[in-house]
Amino acid sequence: MASQARRAVITGAGALCAVGDDPASIWQAWRDGRSGVKPISLFDSSGLPVRIAGEMTGFDAKNFMEKKDRKQLRVMARTIQLAVASSQKALEDCQVDKSKLDKTRFGVIFGAGLIASELPELADAAHKSALPERGKIDLDVWGREGIPVIQPLWMLRYLPNMLACQVSILHDAQGPNNSITQDDVAGLLAVGETLRIMRRDHGDFFLVGGGDSRINPVSLSRQSLFFPMARRIEDPHLACRPFDAAREGLVLGEGCGVLVVEELEHAKSRGASIQAELVGFGAAFDVRLDGEGMARAIRIALDQAGAKSSDVDHVNACGYGTACEDILESHGIALAFKDRPTPVPVTTLKACTGHTGAASGTLELITAVQCLIRGEVPATLNHQTTDPKCPVTVISGAARKMEKPLIVKTGFTREGQCAAVVLRRWNG
Amino acid sequence: MAFGKRRVVITGMGAITPLGQSVDSMFQAQLEARSGVSTITRFDARSFPTKFAAEVHDFDLGRWFKDTTRWNHCGVNSMFAAAAAQQALDQSGLLGLLATGKTDANRFGIYLGSGEGIQDFDNLMWEAAKSYDPSTRTLNYPVFCKGARESFHAESEEEQELHSTARHLAGHFGLGGPNYNCLTACAASAQALGEALDMIRYGDVDVVLAGGAHSMIHPFGVTGFNLLTALSTRNDNPRGASRPFDRERDGFVLAEGAGMLVLEELEHAKARGAIIHAELTGYFSTADAFRVTDSHPEGRGAIACIAGALRDAGVTPAQIGYINAHGTSTQVNDRVESLAIKHVFGDYAHSVPCSSIKSMMGHLIAAAGAVELITCVEAMRHGVLPPTINYENPDPECDLDYIPNQARKVRADHCLSNSFGFGGQNTSLVVSRFAG
Repeated sequence: MASQARRAVITGAGALCAVGDDPASIWQAWRDGRSGVKPISLFDSSGLPVRIAGEMTGFDAKNFMEKKDRKQLRVMARTIQLAVASSQKALEDCQVDKSKLDKTRFGVIFGAGLIASELPELADAAHKSALPERGKIDLDVWGREGIPVIQPLWMLRYLPNMLACQVSILHDAQGPNNSITQDDVAGLLAVGETLRIMRRDHGDFFLVGGGDSRINPVSLSRQSLFFPMARRIEDPHLACRPFDAAREGLVLGEGCGVLVVEELEHAKSRGASIQAELVGFGAAFDVRLDGEGMARAIRIALDQAGAKSSDVDHVNACGYGTACEDILESHGIALAFKDRPTPVPVTTLKACTGHTGAASGTLELITAVQCLIRGEVPATLNHQTTDPKCPVTVISGAARKMEKPLIVKTGFTREGQCAAVVLRRWNG
Repeated sequence: MAFGKRRVVITGMGAITPLGQSVDSMFQAQLEARSGVSTITRFDARSFPTKFAAEVHDFDLGRWFKDTTRWNHCGVNSMFAAAAAQQALDQSGLLGLLATGKTDANRFGIYLGSGEGIQDFDNLMWEAAKSYDPSTRTLNYPVFCKGARESFHAESEEEQELHSTARHLAGHFGLGGPNYNCLTACAASAQALGEALDMIRYGDVDVVLAGGAHSMIHPFGVTGFNLLTALSTRNDNPRGASRPFDRERDGFVLAEGAGMLVLEELEHAKARGAIIHAELTGYFSTADAFRVTDSHPEGRGAIACIAGALRDAGVTPAQIGYINAHGTSTQVNDRVESLAIKHVFGDYAHSVPCSSIKSMMGHLIAAAGAVELITCVEAMRHGVLPPTINYENPDPECDLDYIPNQARKVRADHCLSNSFGFGGQNTSLVVSRFAG
């Protein structure tokens, strides 16, 4: 592994999710054991088996944008608006003077997933083209009468690269720009890519994030067909139960997390306040879906950090709260840390926010940064009895003090794409 | 390994395109200046503003795999990817070494720039129509959700997710290294190749299967691009519709397919006696940061990108023997790209041959960059450059040597390939004759 001659530090963050609209308030909700999972209010979900989610109520992107830029919002689906808003917050948090940045070395690397069409935009065209007697859409009519009633820029509202593109346009970021689309691990893979770009010296200042919002009729209809999801409408705040013996499945959330990742000397020269250092990254594919790939990703990341498994305070896990995935992740973590004299403690934010998809990696990484700053690790909400099939030591009940300088953040897709990031406390 | 960059070579290539379902047949068709454009057959497009595209016809995944079960519910995008990947890995000679464990599967990654699966237009729009009340212009979501859950096909819905193609390739070929997909519109697979190059250069992995696959020849795809007025509507002459750099160009032609390459660290390739097709020497990416709908009028991002890739490869403009242009056949792209090339190449711009194979096979969107890089490799190997067909009317703003209408025998030692994505992502790659 090439040594990281250029060091990457985190100098700012912006985050939005069901339990808060900045890193500190989200961390505090986690610390207080507050869940943002509740009955869905964004649309009438009574036709679905799943009617709960970690939704953000009252999000209005206009509040995060300068007046001159607000008209751009009409070409942004909710996911893209979340990215734009979080990026604005991250830039404010890092207190950079944008006019002093070298724009050609200002990169934007995002994780993103599929963005579902908003049906009101298409319903008129669909209605005009429907043949009720034959129970289908007539494409001939669609072409003549449907297409003309759809907004010209319709498609641009849903392209997954538009998170990074719109952010780059708003902030004149002309450096590397990429959109990683590996579902739930996309955000962490974006962090890894940023470290590589910094290593090859093609950028100094990056907005690195992930955003996702699947709380809409199309996404939920689809997801509930192929992802095991918790239904628990009577007490939604208890529905997401990572690593717990009584877990029932996934709870969807929505949100965005954007980090300002900066080359150390660049950060120092502008007098930035440094929140943490990114010291390691690893990615792997779990070919047999048994945790071996997850373990390998963690070990590669620790190697890159030049750290031993005993230097790690805890793992900030993915913790979906689903039957198979929690077992896979547990085995991966156990395998990676098997040489430790005592098991590595594990915690996760998930039960508070629900699963935020492509946003989860960077959103949860931001809460891990908060742990380093505060020296305290919140417990995993709703975790009561560890599933005997999950060989992990979960922090539950009360928060604990951090004792060691490193946090490992894990992420993966249920199909086997794994990544791990190592964060180190910044001691100046 | 921390010192200096490792060299990266291409040891396998595969392609599924409208011009041929192998690298050889695709390149041969290009040299014969053939067009792969015809009337859309994938759906009834007869009343769409654009009624033609460059489709892959007679595709049968069974030609490449005895057992195609894994891909049963996938869209054609993933199937094209699988077939092209099989070709590339087969050509590389690595399949046997992976099977016997002689190549470390954990240092073998995947980086795709692949597109989304194909949405279930019929069921989605039918359920939307059923739940819509035109008098109030509102949707009844409980009706929609119930109907959608009954009519959607669970497995096919899951396969539309953006990480699906890469995970199938990793699962099928047993590749345990990093598994990436990026989707930066028309720049995606070129950017994937560039990032894969970087991962090998700095020692993260030794081999990467990189490339892309995409098909947007479906009702939503054509609807979306037609609404943006990005597609040619030359319905009376589909084969003449893609005419990059021609004054009468009126938009791009949608295509589909896949291109896959095996990128390998030089010493790794040498040690196993691999056949080396070319060396990937340069990569750079930038953003226009201008508008979602237009490229920067002075080519700011494209200029920085092309210049950066040449610098990365350590070659001067005069050493570039061929430019494979992004050349989409839209008014803006072709003008701005020509401007950017002139800016970077200076006096030499008019003497470097530069063509767009999109004139023949249309625009493979996310997969375009990979297929175009493969074309550069073949052009160097065979000493022949593919033409820009349909070039009839010179445009004063596009005044470079576009290799009009006929392939040309020229020895090139270094080629530049440009890919510019909707939204402003620019990627340039430099590929070089392998000189030992």
